[in-house]
Amino acid sequence: MILGRVIGQCWAARQSPRLDGNKLLLVRPLAWYDPDHQADHLVCVDPLGAEVGQDVVVCMGLPARLALGDARHPVEAAIAAIVDGVEVYQDACREPAFCFAHDRQPESMQER
Amino acid sequence: MIRGRVLGEVWATRKAPRLAGKKMLLVAETCMLPQGEQPTGRVIVAMDLLDAGRGDEVVVAFGSGARNAEVPGSRDVLVDASVVQIIDGTSTGSTPLISS
Repeated sequence: MILGRVIGQCWAARQSPRLDGNKLLLVRPLAWYDPDHQADHLVCVDPLGAEVGQDVVVCMGLPARLALGDARHPVEAAIAAIVDGVEVYQDACREPAFCFAHDRQPESMQER
Repeated sequence: MIRGRVLGEVWATRKAPRLAGKKMLLVAETCMLPQGEQPTGRVIVAMDLLDAGRGDEVVVAFGSGARNAEVPGSRDVLVDASVVQIIDGTSTGSTPLISS
């Protein structure tokens, strides 16, 4: 899954009927393992009701479609969790900050 | 599947229904270089069923393999990466390399 921060929202009068009016959030990835395209942010369906500025965990692929009920939705990313806190073990990786670029650190990150 | 080291933990109270009670770990992918094990800088959030602790070396599976780690054939759990092994030792080439 992807750790990201909600930076915005998008809505549209004309959209695919299979989206059935679901809220779409713009999420800027903080830790995205294998981005298949150089995207600054993802557009995710939000079954949990996250707000702008919160850190979230995004799940990609089939489960994102099933989060809307069945697999027949034009969707590829859904929000799986709204993050309360991120804890990074200092000694686990020699340079933990190496994986969180300066401007992409999760808000509620504590080092232990 | 990738090999990585547990970098930290992500906790959340509001989660997708099937994720309640499951731990989510931050895993930093590592690669074996001559001078030893180095983080590649790529991090993933993986669901943890094996209680991997701080700094453990783990194997993370992706996609439907990740969902099979919990309940084989389950489709509706909102996960696409999960820890499937906590590594005790690795051997590369002829020389056994006990890494942890």
